[in-house]
Amino acid sequence: SDLKPKKNIQEKLSSEKSTVLLFQSLFPVRRRQFSVKMSTAPAQDVEMKETPDPASAPSNSATSAAPSALQHLKEIASLIETGAYAREVRRIARAIRLTMALRRKLKTSVVSAFLNFALTPGSEAHSRLSSYLPKEDDHEMEVDTATSVVQAPVKHSLPELEIFSYLLVLIFLIDQKRYSEAKACSSASIARLKNINRRTVDVLASRLYFYYSLSYEHTGDLAEIRGNLLALHQIATLRHDELGQETLLNLLLRNYLHYNLYDQAEKLRSKAPRFEAHSNQQFCRYLFYLGKIRTIQLEYTDAKESLLQAARKAPIAALCFRIQCTKWAVIVRLLLGEIPERTVFMQKGMETALRPYFELTNAVRIGDLELFKSVAEKFSETFSLDRTQNLIVRLRHNVIRTGLRNISISYSRISLTDVAKKLRLDSPNPVADAESIVSKAIRDGAIDATIDHAKGWMVSKETGDIYSTNEPQMAFNSRIAFCLNMHNEAVRALRFPPNSHKEKEIAEKRRERQQQEQELAKHIAEEDDDEF
Amino acid sequence: MDPKLTEVSQYFERFKAACVREDIDTSANLLSQLKVLLTSFRSLPPLFEVTPNAVQELTIARDIYEHAVLLSVKMGDQDAFERDFFQLKPYYTDARKRLPRSPQEHMILGLNLLRLLVQNRIAEFHTELELLPAESLEDPCIKHAVELEQSFMEGAYNRVLTAKQTVPNQSYDYFMDLLAKTVRDEIAGCSEKAYDFLSINDARQMLLFSSDNELLKYINEEHPEWEIKDGSVIFQKAKETAPCKEIPSLQLINQTLSYARELERIV
Repeated sequence: SDLKPKKNIQEKLSSEKSTVLLFQSLFPVRRRQFSVKMSTAPAQDVEMKETPDPASAPSNSATSAAPSALQHLKEIASLIETGAYAREVRRIARAIRLTMALRRKLKTSVVSAFLNFALTPGSEAHSRLSSYLPKEDDHEMEVDTATSVVQAPVKHSLPELEIFSYLLVLIFLIDQKRYSEAKACSSASIARLKNINRRTVDVLASRLYFYYSLSYEHTGDLAEIRGNLLALHQIATLRHDELGQETLLNLLLRNYLHYNLYDQAEKLRSKAPRFEAHSNQQFCRYLFYLGKIRTIQLEYTDAKESLLQAARKAPIAALCFRIQCTKWAVIVRLLLGEIPERTVFMQKGMETALRPYFELTNAVRIGDLELFKSVAEKFSETFSLDRTQNLIVRLRHNVIRTGLRNISISYSRISLTDVAKKLRLDSPNPVADAESIVSKAIRDGAIDATIDHAKGWMVSKETGDIYSTNEPQMAFNSRIAFCLNMHNEAVRALRFPPNSHKEKEIAEKRRERQQQEQELAKHIAEEDDDEF
Repeated sequence: MDPKLTEVSQYFERFKAACVREDIDTSANLLSQLKVLLTSFRSLPPLFEVTPNAVQELTIARDIYEHAVLLSVKMGDQDAFERDFFQLKPYYTDARKRLPRSPQEHMILGLNLLRLLVQNRIAEFHTELELLPAESLEDPCIKHAVELEQSFMEGAYNRVLTAKQTVPNQSYDYFMDLLAKTVRDEIAGCSEKAYDFLSINDARQMLLFSSDNELLKYINEEHPEWEIKDGSVIFQKAKETAPCKEIPSLQLINQTLSYARELERIV
């Protein structure tokens, strides 16, 4: 091959990183897959280099997963250091992504070994964090001290590394379901964060806020931290920390919505400063909460737009989130009077969860009140778990409307007693009820008919030809506007790595880079083929 | 007992007596005095300090505000109702853990829901409904308001009017009367579109008037465009034949220009 042999691992790492960065800009969707791939390849190189090291041999025998996890963590720590020194936030963001990939492999030994590596063992932070970890037996401790002795002592304790250690311990505790300790750890980290004011810490800080709220939510104490979150939001706004602002706003909205305080949530949301979303995940969450608020406030069109957008933008892996968005979107569409199509319920992985909503849609589509009541009772626990119980109650009105519409289309003239019988209204005076319901439906424009009171029947008017009106034009216009908007947003979302125009490339390097690009492009093309 | 607390209790007894006597002016005076006295208590919202007499103070304050709400209903003052209700709300929500449940809580909540319905603030109606826990919805006062809203939405107005008879509490009457008026306007609006004509008898029955004269007066005031001929009320005038459909040129031009602009846009 034409690839020049690399002098050391570092150089190879950095060149691959820059290639990956370039590819991330060209193929943004692939970002996550690539970062994980790239991280495993060099890790294996590093691991092979260090196997002859005697200290890691015993830990190798203990568990084979431990060394590679620890090596990953050390790499991530070095990535954070370089990012902090170069003030490049993207590296830190990447470090976090790599950590998330490692979550499942974390064990107490790994975490405490990392703490020994990253923080000076005597420092306050180290002792505090170690106290949160569960105590393990001596065997593990030996291994840890052995490894820590062999590794080069860390230079300075960067605040980023400290916050990262907090984050790591917190994630570990939450994954182990030790929520009360997680609560204590997160409160300590928030207190520590208030003193640090560096942009490179912001990415880590926003993750910390999220886990802080999560640990309190799991122990059921969300209301306690509301004041803290508001204060943090204020601080983030003062420091122009936009990612933190976004995260905290979402956490606050989640807090209010947890207790059904829709009014206060809306007041906060309308007054909070708005800006371009920095993180796709936060934007999705924001859209979902916005959709929920709008639904309760009866603004169904806005709600539908937000909820559908949230479901679309969410990453494929976030299945439960998408299920929740879809559930609410289905109900909002039913409330608007349109019936969602069957494919919505048949999406991969969502069929069982969406089953109650499917049956509900069926009842609304047929327009049968009895069926609607029986479905609502049958699945009432699911609905109350999803907190959509009140919305389902509002649907009764839609069921009647749909039933009425079906009747008016099928009959040119029908007596009101028959209408009452078909709608199966359970009331003491069905005919009078039916009459007033029909007259209201006519006034609202749901059906096109007139009532003859004396003779007691309803006469439907003929429906005109819809293509001769402006309706198709309107529908096309809204679709065109949407597509154009999407195009503009996509163009705006293109990113290029910073400082790339500043590097001067020598001919050799350029050749190598182009070769690697070609290989990666071929790889992607093959992957595409595999998927199809 | 605390001297301030005794003073407040005495005033409160006089206030309650005035309310029972239906003496609006004295009650209003005593109420304003009570409110001023209440500001000296530190255990009330928004401070919620823990003092030795906290529970008693909170209970008395809550009772005072409940009576204030009922008084405003008697006076027919909706703004006063809203103010007093907002001051009462923290006692139900935030102070829930410190106090035993008030027996009148559901009644007052139902009254508030009814008020929102009458003022056509349906969004706030639903927001308030969301705040109630599931078991409150079984309570007759609240159920009454919820069913009323449903019938209103569906358009079964006769059910709304029959619900007037089944009021759970006397203080609901004021709002039910207001609601009856709204319902009447709604029925008139619907009948306009739905019927070509109605006989005077039928119109009178539907709009709930007791005599033809009232009906005629109503029509003259609110709906002068209805014609009265041969003992029947005619709603629709003969529609003029729609002119040949004009092309909405302005709209089309706007749309096409926006397409051209977006396509050529450099973002």
